[in-house]
Amino acid sequence: MELWVGALNLGFLYAFVAFGIYITFRIHDFPDITVDGTFTTGAAVTSVLVVAGTHPLLAVLASFVACMAAGSITALINTRLNVNSLLAGILVMTGLYSINLHIMGRSNIPLLNTSEFFTLLNRANPGLPHEPWTAICLTLIMAASWLAVSFFFKTDLGLSMRASGNNPIMARAAGINVDRVKIFGVALANGLVGISGSLVAQYQGFADIGMGIGTVVTGLASVIIGESILKKHSIYAWIASAVIGSVIFRFMIAIALYAGMDPVDLKLLTAIFVLVTLIVTAKIAKGAGKVKRKHLVTAMAAAAIIFGIFAGVKYGNLTAFIPQKKVKIGIFQVSDNPILNITRDAFLDEMKRLGYVEGKNATFLVENANGDIATVNAIVDKFLRDKVDILVPISTACTQAASRKVKDRPVVFATVANPFVIEVGKTDTDHLPNVTGVYGAVPMDRTMEIVTKILPGPIKIGAIWDPSQANSEVNVNSLKKALQNYPDVTFVGGNVSNSSEVYQVAASLVQRDIDAFVLPTDNIVYSAFDSVVKASRNRKVPIIFNDVDHPEGGALVVFGYTYVTSGKQAANLVDRILKGEKPASIPFERYREIVLGINLKVAEELGLAIPRELLEKATVIIDESGTRQKSGGTSSREGTPLPAKRLALFQFTDNVILDICAEGVLDGLKKSGVLDRQNIAIDHKMAHGDFPTAQSIAQEMVSKNYDYIVTVSTVSLQVTVNHNKKIPHVFAAVTDPLKAGVAKSFTDHPANLTGLATPQPVESTVRLMRKVFPKARVIGMIWNPAEVNSEICTVITREAAKKYGFKVVEVQITGTQEIDQALQSVLGDKPDIFFTSGDTTVSSVIPSLAQKLRQKRIPYVTNTPADIDSGAFICLGADYYDVGLKTADIAIRIINGEKPAAMPIVSYVPEQLTLNLSLAKEFGITIPDDLIRKAARVVK
Amino acid sequence: MIRISDYHKTFNAGTLNEVYALRGINLRIQEGEFLTIIGTNGSGKSTLLNAIAGTFQPDRGTIAIGGKDMAGKADFQRARFISRVFQNPFMGTAPDMTIAENIHLAFMRGKPRHLIPGLTRERRDLYREEVRMLEMQLEDRLGNTIGTLSGGQRQALTLLMAVMNEPKVLLLDEHTAALDPKSAAQVVALTERFVARYGLTTVMITHSMQQALALGTRTILMHKGQVIEEIAGKDKSLLTTTDLLDRFADLRKQEKLTAEMIEEMRREYL
Repeated sequence: MELWVGALNLGFLYAFVAFGIYITFRIHDFPDITVDGTFTTGAAVTSVLVVAGTHPLLAVLASFVACMAAGSITALINTRLNVNSLLAGILVMTGLYSINLHIMGRSNIPLLNTSEFFTLLNRANPGLPHEPWTAICLTLIMAASWLAVSFFFKTDLGLSMRASGNNPIMARAAGINVDRVKIFGVALANGLVGISGSLVAQYQGFADIGMGIGTVVTGLASVIIGESILKKHSIYAWIASAVIGSVIFRFMIAIALYAGMDPVDLKLLTAIFVLVTLIVTAKIAKGAGKVKRKHLVTAMAAAAIIFGIFAGVKYGNLTAFIPQKKVKIGIFQVSDNPILNITRDAFLDEMKRLGYVEGKNATFLVENANGDIATVNAIVDKFLRDKVDILVPISTACTQAASRKVKDRPVVFATVANPFVIEVGKTDTDHLPNVTGVYGAVPMDRTMEIVTKILPGPIKIGAIWDPSQANSEVNVNSLKKALQNYPDVTFVGGNVSNSSEVYQVAASLVQRDIDAFVLPTDNIVYSAFDSVVKASRNRKVPIIFNDVDHPEGGALVVFGYTYVTSGKQAANLVDRILKGEKPASIPFERYREIVLGINLKVAEELGLAIPRELLEKATVIIDESGTRQKSGGTSSREGTPLPAKRLALFQFTDNVILDICAEGVLDGLKKSGVLDRQNIAIDHKMAHGDFPTAQSIAQEMVSKNYDYIVTVSTVSLQVTVNHNKKIPHVFAAVTDPLKAGVAKSFTDHPANLTGLATPQPVESTVRLMRKVFPKARVIGMIWNPAEVNSEICTVITREAAKKYGFKVVEVQITGTQEIDQALQSVLGDKPDIFFTSGDTTVSSVIPSLAQKLRQKRIPYVTNTPADIDSGAFICLGADYYDVGLKTADIAIRIINGEKPAAMPIVSYVPEQLTLNLSLAKEFGITIPDDLIRKAARVVK
Repeated sequence: MIRISDYHKTFNAGTLNEVYALRGINLRIQEGEFLTIIGTNGSGKSTLLNAIAGTFQPDRGTIAIGGKDMAGKADFQRARFISRVFQNPFMGTAPDMTIAENIHLAFMRGKPRHLIPGLTRERRDLYREEVRMLEMQLEDRLGNTIGTLSGGQRQALTLLMAVMNEPKVLLLDEHTAALDPKSAAQVVALTERFVARYGLTTVMITHSMQQALALGTRTILMHKGQVIEEIAGKDKSLLTTTDLLDRFADLRKQEKLTAEMIEEMRREYL
């Protein structure tokens, strides 16, 4: 749910981008790339203002104005200086990168604990969940924006803008200053994009220097999708199509993610999609108008197919481009009764959880005979005609019909009391070759044990059942058999044939002075249980009931199986068969989860005392006030496996440190055995450095209700914290969680969140430099101010350098292409040591950098131990594999029941020293022996 | 009304594509005069019209309209008192906008365009009456986009849009050349009606000798960026195309025209 509502919200937020692109691309035919920069500018301006305490709406306005200014510069360059529009956009976009960094002062500003726009919205929330409420508000805002933008294009100014774009020659002849209108249009478009940036930053809880990449293509895709869907007769429809396109685009991405597509392909697919549509649109422009829609639909279909194939390939683990065969599963039940409904719903849910999605890789045909046995047979026939792959009969009657008619394909039954009386098998392992399933009947001997513990001494019990139901007969016979061991218990029975008779029969049993109702599972009794309760109350007769779904329903004791188990287990059997196992080799399974529920409120009313040992065994207790105390059925589990759980490991981007850290987490979890013990599956999710994808992944984790989340990297932490308020979440590979804005202090953090802070050991490194190079004076550094970590490290370096008597010479860069030049500049200041700490831009070129420094005989010190293999001199850094292991430990503690709220965030820097002695020899530097001994690895 | 003095214009100066388009044009057009221009391809007819409209600025020389020097005034500024109709019926209207919106744009010529919805119901009624005069049954289709109209309908609308604000000068650049004969005749008739009704000072380029002689008060012949002949006076409408060809022959004798040029004129105009 969260995923879809989230997609809707993102669609709305990005709709302003679509408006902007509509104005530039469609009205002015001006391919404006500036928006990639202004999107971030909008976010930057807003985040700085909001953090400083400005009202969020004012901040949005300021973003709008700032981005209009940026856009007008692009248009001025284009119109006044006659620079090609594309080039003008690129120039301004590039320039904006620096300006955005200046505005923000750093590369990432968290907005999690500030009073931003959506917090304001939430204050007016009448009590809805967060996302739906946001969706409602955004819908209203969108409607207003739609009207406002449409109105604008109806005004004289708007008309002249449209005319300028539509036919500049005519516009000029009509006295319109086309250039000026164009400047205004491009400025307005960028202002709108800025609003998007501003809102998205507030929605996702942070602004980041990289968040604008790809904005133009996204907007273009939205506009094109919208146009192809909505027939536009009026300007209102045009503008609406932009909003709709934006929402659909987000939904396409959500669907792709939901289907399991690797987000790494998203950008490529988007680009292909836009390209195909552009080509087709161009063709249409040449051709006749009538074929238009058909062509566009074809283009959409083509793009959708490409999308689908990619998704399919990823989903099917690259099992070739052959379209995946859908499995067809026929599920049917004999009547519309709650037990069977529960089984059916649990089955369908579990299938979905196992990855069988209706319409994608599975078709579920669900039928109900509504109590008519003839219909049951008809349903089986229909299933055979429809060529279902597997039949899932729920209830004894359906199982009987299916096993008799179907011999050539698997049948998996569920919620059958005794499969042996209907002759589908002799024992659990010796059964019809194509039939397996889940069964179970409440152990009546144990039921009687409970009854006699509460009511000792000679008693008379009453039972009600429908003799026409095979299941009920089985149950009652089993009860009678159990009674043979209880000579002082007398049995009185009453038969019913429909629910309206239940009250009368129950009352008659009460008249016959029974001491308790012992009610075996029976569909009619189940549906008319209230009548039994009503009849029993006159004489305070306790009810012991074998249906456990409603312990609050008025029974004193409920004891039996939940039929959720039945459906779930059946689904797992179906899964095993679909994965290649033969039904013949799968033994029948008994229900695994038994529930003992005791209602103390009823006990009080009846004046009965419940023995302590029963209370201890109970899985559910309804206390005197009628509220449920204990639940989950943890005590009486029979056999393994536990319900499957899922842990999401969410990594923002792929670089050495994060990869190693994630590996540590995975190894730690696997080695501990907790995954098998607790039946936990791990999903490793990767956003490949893309912010909207990270958003969607976070929403998806919440929407799919993962049981645990582990994030690796600061961005994945921030994004997840913004969406997830419930699921236990452990973070790792974060330099400073406080600066990331997710916690106020190491002990004051959200109740579901804890993790490790791992700053680079910068100060120890500087101290180490002093020790190894007693005479050194100048430390040279190159770093990228767009990286938060790098910035933090540099600041610490400056302070530590002061403390240990060094001077720092630093040069800032924005990309690897600038490193050579930067190095020349640093070398000009004659550094004695060169140092890199936590900067991923520089890290990516360490081997070549080390090579050049070696020629100059300058020792290279870094904070990543592995750099020693790339030619570094000394490396002192956190061992991120160790960090990963430690993170796994925290996750395991939470899996075992500890609460994250009680676990403070821990600063954890497992320092690891590596040395290159051959370089030391080459440079003639002696490294103290104690250091060599301490080193984890020495290159000789 | 229009006074053009020693007007020179060269395009792409200093490149291989250099074109000396107007070579010292001197022309006076009286208020209410209807001037037609004929000439071969590349003789500078359209360039002269663009010079009046202000699409570019001269290299040398001046243009004054209504006694005011036009130096430095861009086309959209002159549009306040100059209206144009182009040869291509697609050029004079915005195809994706409705008839009413297009007319409104023309109506707003020379007026400030604010952030208000100026196309009100009253205005729409007014425009409907204007369109009715075209007698093309367009008055009921004000909400349709221009793109759905025929070339003749578009050109008629363009003409209406050009004259409705009673400009000082109307420039017609072969505005019937791209139309079928029937539509062309309709547009010519409209042109005569509008020019007469508003008493507009009109300059028209034409590729039809008959049009040149039948319409207007004076005809000029252009060649290689210069005006080489004028035909005016009461007898202009009495002249036949044969008379005109005789004039060309005279011009040839004066070596103002070559045989090829005359042949080209004959091909294009007859």
